[in-house]
Amino acid sequence: MEIRPPRRRWWRRISIIWLVPLVALVVAVGVAAQSYANRGTLIHISFTNASGIEAGQTTLRYRDVNIGVVETVNFAPDLGKVVVGVRVASDIARYIDGEAKFWVVRPEISVRGISGLDTVLSGAYISGTWDNIPSGERTKFEGLEVAPLQSQNGTQITLRLRDGNQISAGAPILHKGIEVGSVGAPRLGEDGNTVLLDAVIEAPYDKMMTTNSRFWDASGFDVSLGTGGIQLDVRSLAALIAGGINFDTVVSGGEAIEPGASFFVYPDEADARSSVFTSASEAELPLSIIFDGSIAGLTEGADVRYRGATIGRVTDIGAIADMDEDHPEIRMLANLQIDVGSLGLPDGSTVQDAQDFFAQLVERDNLRARLATASLFTGSLMVEFVEQPDDPGATLDETHQPFPLVPIAPPAITEFQTTAQGVINRIGGLPIEDLMRSAIGALNSIQALAGDPETRRVPYEAASLLADARSLLSGEDVTGIIDNLRQTTDSLRRIGEQIEEGQAVSNLIASIEKANNALTGVEGAAAEFPQIAQQLRELSAKANRLQIEELANSADSLLQSADVLLSNPDTQRVPGAVSDALDEVAQVLAEVREGGAIGNANDAIAAAQAAANSVSEAVSDLPDLAGRIARLVDQAGTTVSGYGSDSRFNVELVTALRSLQEASNAVSSLARSIQRNPNSLILGR
Amino acid sequence: MSERILTAREAGLVACTRCGLVHTPRTQNCTRCGAPLVSRDRHSLQRVWAWWIAGLIVYIPANLYPMLLTNTLGTRTRSTILGGVVELWAHGDLPVALIVFAASIVIPVGKFLAIAFLAMSINKRRFMSVHAQHRLFEVVEFIGRWSMIDVFVVAILASLVQFSFVASINPGIAAICFALSVIFTMKAALAFDPRTIWDD
Repeated sequence: MEIRPPRRRWWRRISIIWLVPLVALVVAVGVAAQSYANRGTLIHISFTNASGIEAGQTTLRYRDVNIGVVETVNFAPDLGKVVVGVRVASDIARYIDGEAKFWVVRPEISVRGISGLDTVLSGAYISGTWDNIPSGERTKFEGLEVAPLQSQNGTQITLRLRDGNQISAGAPILHKGIEVGSVGAPRLGEDGNTVLLDAVIEAPYDKMMTTNSRFWDASGFDVSLGTGGIQLDVRSLAALIAGGINFDTVVSGGEAIEPGASFFVYPDEADARSSVFTSASEAELPLSIIFDGSIAGLTEGADVRYRGATIGRVTDIGAIADMDEDHPEIRMLANLQIDVGSLGLPDGSTVQDAQDFFAQLVERDNLRARLATASLFTGSLMVEFVEQPDDPGATLDETHQPFPLVPIAPPAITEFQTTAQGVINRIGGLPIEDLMRSAIGALNSIQALAGDPETRRVPYEAASLLADARSLLSGEDVTGIIDNLRQTTDSLRRIGEQIEEGQAVSNLIASIEKANNALTGVEGAAAEFPQIAQQLRELSAKANRLQIEELANSADSLLQSADVLLSNPDTQRVPGAVSDALDEVAQVLAEVREGGAIGNANDAIAAAQAAANSVSEAVSDLPDLAGRIARLVDQAGTTVSGYGSDSRFNVELVTALRSLQEASNAVSSLARSIQRNPNSLILGR
Repeated sequence: MSERILTAREAGLVACTRCGLVHTPRTQNCTRCGAPLVSRDRHSLQRVWAWWIAGLIVYIPANLYPMLLTNTLGTRTRSTILGGVVELWAHGDLPVALIVFAASIVIPVGKFLAIAFLAMSINKRRFMSVHAQHRLFEVVEFIGRWSMIDVFVVAILASLVQFSFVASINPGIAAICFALSVIFTMKAALAFDPRTIWDD
């Protein structure tokens, strides 16, 4: 049996179950279509290295929101770059235009803190920034090596510095001590002379900036020494290490600034504040100077001044060879940088303006550069611009390479050092060495004499010798003799003086001559008188030969010798007895020298008579005295001859003794004379 | 197969597919279990193919999209089925790689092939004996209930490994697709009327 169902229409035979695969297909196709549509735009960013970037892993973020994933990491055709393909959501991709910047965010540890810490675990990601105006989609970009400044909430400005030594990327910008912004990485300006810094002042502080705002470098710390002592000013630790820039609006009345405005960063606050009153131009005019002579004392960084104001500085110093045929030489060259702003030129003056201005000054006012003393004590020099009215004709050599050449004037170096050198030279010229040599020689001689064992022995023997002499002098006999002698000599001197005084002498001479004539007559007349006449004649002759003066001279020379001996330092050690003795000798001799008062002739004669009597009394003692003196001298001579004949003391002693001997000789001769003819004293002959 | 096998239909009877009691052709419901009685399901093959196609459609994204989203210390890994196998293989985990490969690739693909083969073998020239076909059908039906292993693993991992930042595992879209694919193929296998194997 065949059971066949009736044929039905074909759509009746279609099971409803077919809806399932249909729906599945629709859903699958729909999902696929949607996912294709949402696949986004593939953009390519090239980096120099792809450290931390992985395909399918690394995300692209905009304001920290994932907007895409890296799909491919490839090399550029020349292998010079890594090209990263990033699939970006389509709705975002249309904003990614020519303004877009991309950089890789990696963990970074700096003095300002740790950034990108989340990337330590999640891995690096690519961050992008662009404006919110779609203007032409692009798919190829150059990635940045360093993160640009985020400027979504502030005003972006450009700062210009002379050098970027003190500043590193991320350094803070401070306003009244509050961090109000930060700077990007320094880059070199197009002219190569300035360093440019992109900086962002965060809102709302950007309102504080006006055209009158001034920026200055607050890096590191300031140490200022003033009347208040030492002041150390450290801004912030970050500023100390990474550098920092301060800004302040110095005077009010400025206009609000446009984003992207450019400001110059002054080296310090004082400059920044004073710059309000001078030109804001920071252009620098380079100049060269060639000096003929030495520039010792001029250093790099030395001031360049004009009428006392610093207008620039010396940037470098070098030598150039002047290849002149006749006499090639080396001349010293210094390059200067003149702050155009400090010349007071109007705002916006260029370097060329300043150069023209300088050329004009050189030609019209005879402006010249010269070396001048900056510090008297260190001898450091500076370059000074001066007008030299009596030196016309020179011009600024603008053809000189690399910088225009300024004509020079004779240096105005205060010759402090030269003068001091002269003084020192004169002091050096003094014969100090000779003097010292002589002094040293003298001292050596003295030392040798003092150190001579013979000299050491002298005092004792000299002392005993002098004691002997003293005892002799202070002896009864001697004093008596001396007294008598003194009286005698006094009388004699008085007689002599009276005689010399006037008529008495001539009268006396005349009478003596008369007496002589008479005696001659008598001699001739009376034969019994020749003996007496002869005696008288001898007496007068003897009187004439009386050797009192010789004695005085001898005694004087003895005194001098004694003085010399006394003044000898070695003798100072001789006991006081010696000096006492010598004092006595001196006293005696002084008394001997001194004359008594002059009386009348009668007194004189009477005194002379008395003296003659005394002398005659004493005469008997004289030979004994002479003998004792001779013995003393002999004894001294013996003592002295015991010493070396070359000793200076010996010589002096010998001289002294010789004088003493002469004295004793004189005494003995006087004694002999008086002894031989006592009457001659009375008779004046 | 030399021995001729008499089917219920040839005997003029209708067998209950649930309890096996045979009835006379006009009987509407099984007198024992109450199940509806149909001699041959005329829409069976259509339903098989419909589920089969649906299963195949969702099996494609199940292999293309990531099965597991692993997040370990900030590192996110998206692994597809085949990618996971390759990764395991590369790490040297051969047995695990083989198990995953078998459970996720070999068995589902084998199921698709087996069902398609069975469906096409009806009313066509036979490459296989009816006994072998029936055994194949039974194997497919048996394996079907184990095919969800992958999905279970993903579900368990995703619920257990949630340590926030340190490690977390989330199911990917492929897990859902794979589960759907398993369900659809099971439905396809169930829609198949094995009695047609025996019809000439």
